[in-house]
Amino acid sequence: MKLKKKLNLSKQYKNIIMAIRVNPGYIDVLDQYGAEDVQLCYQCGDCSTICSHADDIYRFPRKSMRYLQMGLEEKLETSLEPWLCYYCGQCSEQCPREADPGETMMSLRRWLISRYDITGIASQFFRSKSSEILTVIFIALFTGAYLLFYGFSNGSLQIYDGEGAFLPSSFIHVFDLIIGGIMFLFLWLGALRMWYFTMVKGTSTPVPWWLYFTKLYEMPLHFLTQKRYAECEDNGKSKVNMPWLIHFGLAMGYTFMIVLIMIFIEPFQAGPKIQWYVHIFGYLASVGLLGGCIYFIRQRFRKIEHIQYKKTHSTDWMFIILLIIIVITGIVQHILHRTGLLELANITYVIHLMAVIPWFLRMPFSKWAHLVYRPFAMYFAAIRRAAFMRQEKLVGSLSVSMK
Amino acid sequence: MENKNNVKIGVYVCNCGTNIAKIVDAEAVAEYASKLPHVALAKTYKYMCSNPGQEMIAEDIRENGLDRVVIAACSPNMHERTFRSALRMAGLNQYMLEMANIREQCSWVHSDRQAATRKAMSLVNGAVQRVLQHEALDSMTVEMNPAVLVIGGGVAGMTAALELADAGYSVHLVEKDNYLGGNIARVDLTAPYFYSARDLLTDRITRVKEHAKVNIHLNSTVTDLSGYVGNFTAHIKNLNGKPGNGSIPVEIDVGNVAICTGYKEFDASRITHFGYGKLPNVITSFELEQMLRAGKVVTRDGKAPKYVAIIHCVGSRNKEFHTYCSRVCCMTALKYAHEIKSANPECYISDVYIDMHAFGKGHEDFYHSSSQAKTLFLMYDKENRPVIHKAGPNENCDMLIEVHERLSGEHIEIPADLVVLMVGMEARDDAHEVAHMANISQDKEGWFIESHPKLEPVATTTDGIFIAGTCVAPKDIPDTVAQARAAAARILARISKGQIEVDAVYAEVNEDKCSGCRICNVMCPYSAIEFDEEKKKSHVISALCKACGTCVAACPSGAIKGRHFTDQQVLAQIDGIFSEVVYEVPEITI
Repeated sequence: MKLKKKLNLSKQYKNIIMAIRVNPGYIDVLDQYGAEDVQLCYQCGDCSTICSHADDIYRFPRKSMRYLQMGLEEKLETSLEPWLCYYCGQCSEQCPREADPGETMMSLRRWLISRYDITGIASQFFRSKSSEILTVIFIALFTGAYLLFYGFSNGSLQIYDGEGAFLPSSFIHVFDLIIGGIMFLFLWLGALRMWYFTMVKGTSTPVPWWLYFTKLYEMPLHFLTQKRYAECEDNGKSKVNMPWLIHFGLAMGYTFMIVLIMIFIEPFQAGPKIQWYVHIFGYLASVGLLGGCIYFIRQRFRKIEHIQYKKTHSTDWMFIILLIIIVITGIVQHILHRTGLLELANITYVIHLMAVIPWFLRMPFSKWAHLVYRPFAMYFAAIRRAAFMRQEKLVGSLSVSMK
Repeated sequence: MENKNNVKIGVYVCNCGTNIAKIVDAEAVAEYASKLPHVALAKTYKYMCSNPGQEMIAEDIRENGLDRVVIAACSPNMHERTFRSALRMAGLNQYMLEMANIREQCSWVHSDRQAATRKAMSLVNGAVQRVLQHEALDSMTVEMNPAVLVIGGGVAGMTAALELADAGYSVHLVEKDNYLGGNIARVDLTAPYFYSARDLLTDRITRVKEHAKVNIHLNSTVTDLSGYVGNFTAHIKNLNGKPGNGSIPVEIDVGNVAICTGYKEFDASRITHFGYGKLPNVITSFELEQMLRAGKVVTRDGKAPKYVAIIHCVGSRNKEFHTYCSRVCCMTALKYAHEIKSANPECYISDVYIDMHAFGKGHEDFYHSSSQAKTLFLMYDKENRPVIHKAGPNENCDMLIEVHERLSGEHIEIPADLVVLMVGMEARDDAHEVAHMANISQDKEGWFIESHPKLEPVATTTDGIFIAGTCVAPKDIPDTVAQARAAAARILARISKGQIEVDAVYAEVNEDKCSGCRICNVMCPYSAIEFDEEKKKSHVISALCKACGTCVAACPSGAIKGRHFTDQQVLAQIDGIFSEVVYEVPEITI
């Protein structure tokens, strides 16, 4: 009874209408994040109809596009909808005005990443191609210089592993943990801000605390399977949902690789004998990463089969270029190590790390951060939905509304 | 009265495909009719109005010497003319025809076959009794004066005048203002192709002014219009009151009149929500046109606006003022968005609309290109108008427009430094006087009524008076020009005939019985009755009379006779309808 009273009261507060200020100029800001065609949208709602993820509670892409057109920053900042979209591209194919809802949702994710980011680096990278390239090159050169300095002062270029090695695995382990720590710090800070925006500011219904526990399974579930991506229809173009499969391979590749280099780097780097209990995972991860790279590059150049690859933001290219360098140098140094060309192996290893470090440091400020934000979004979305349904049950019947 | 004993009537019952035959037993009706006195023959046919049907009637008239015909079919509105011409073809006077409406007033509205058939029989009997009383009447013709009076010097009036003058007929063009061009003269560019309105007009104005056949009367109004089709007399008064002849109206004779008096814009101060007249930066579309013509869109302080809001349907599409759509404002608003944005790319434009009516040629593309130019379209509810108020001193804009936005479902406020109100079109204040003078009707909004909204869009119920352009209803320039040309074409067709045939059905005053009370003079809805001051008797101008019968009923002395609707004819028909009919439905197989 008490609760019911409380809920009614909160509904009353909602009825006091405060006008939200429209910002007609905000569309130009989002333009820099890639939402170039959103102004063409005339709100027919075809996109929401075809979307397999949109429903009565999470209404997108139409509604998100409307908020963007109107420049309702706070509505966008507190929304989870952009994360619920996996960009299958069907909405963009369907759109009668060529307003590209899929790309708009993608741009909103970029924008949200820059909103969650406390430093402003993400926003800088998304909006300025040159600042990102210069930063990456600077970090790469700095890393290279530091590693060469460390290697020449402590070891020998002829030794790859063990005593007197150029880059001993114990040193790399510490180095990786520091870099990884920085990366995770920013990612978790971002996730914290995301929680504040979406669950504190953005959820009007009261959220009972236990929902945070009962819905916790959502996070690992979506992180490990990306099952909602598989739910996106593939237009029947191929028997397997290729975008999902490739994405799955790539994501698993990252996860394995991160675990390997953060925890098992010492046996992983040891050689020349192959340590099957770690290396088998390394090979699998390499297949996933390489396959993903080749597929994405091919799709982006062909631009036919899947509409989601039609537009490529400069940050996407940076991601692919760094990743391909990392994968190739990683495989090459592994082979060189096994074949005994140790000087070359060490040099390749330096180049490898020159790409790995900026790549890691860039992660929290790029689209890649969705690795963390998306599972969180699934988790929060499930909580918000449960809270909403609970209140509707208590207060009245579920209101039927437009997608 | 002629001897009715030798009268031979032919009765024709139409099946109208199955329209009539499926409810009314047409064969039974024909058989019943054939037994009525004076009926020489009765027939049914699938489609009486078809060529074979008409030929059959004509042949029967010639071969059997029929002298009266009853056709039981559809409404006379539909096919009376058709059958009259069939009678003429056979050499019979066309008024020796009577139609019994057994379709609209019988088969279409009944489901009981037996009762419907009985009713059809009654109607046929009424028609037979009536046609017995018919008299041969002669149509008359009047001469057509080829001169034309065009009222209104806007684009419609000038177009009609040029069309008529180019065909070689003299035209009197009367304009109230001291310039030609009407409302378009106040517009900068036109939507959606950005043609200059001035260019559109300049060519017309020069041609009208130089045309030897066009007689322009600026600063003038038509104070009186009398006469009838082919022979009108108009009094044109100069409003300037020039010494000497100014106050005395010029009298001109014309055969036809084209009324192209246009519209006036809605007075935005009537809507208090918008603060027009109180907030300095709330302006109407015509005020913006002025700015655009001067080449500078600025606020009252002379600053370039950062946020411009355009509000649609001001005065239109709302129960409070006008429910109709003014048709031109949507595209004009998009035109403003384009013009302001291209003049000042830093400016953001919010377009606050109800629905986007982009129905014309090129309009949908124009709407699309406005979206491309990042115009922010915000939809409001017809019954929930935006409210404009002054923004606080710390705001980055001059005004805030509060409105419930329908597509997002949010209650929003829109920043604005300049608000443009898209004022709708209204019938002119003097439209009532024009309507009264020309004896045409107005609808509840004040627009002139056409004689048929689909098939007669420029004719009126008064013969010889035509209407075109925005005095009929809101419309854009292409539609206005098309109507002006249509009116001119209708007039030219009449002029080329030289004379005009007037229906022989009209009212007649028996002067011996007329007491000169003049009741009929005021009753006549067509101003067709004049009073002869010398004889002190009323007189019906047959060319103007529409045979409505009002005067016939009104005359206390029974001095007025409606030709073809005499008392005997009407009473005979009533008697016929009420006489007993016996009919039992036979076994039907359909």
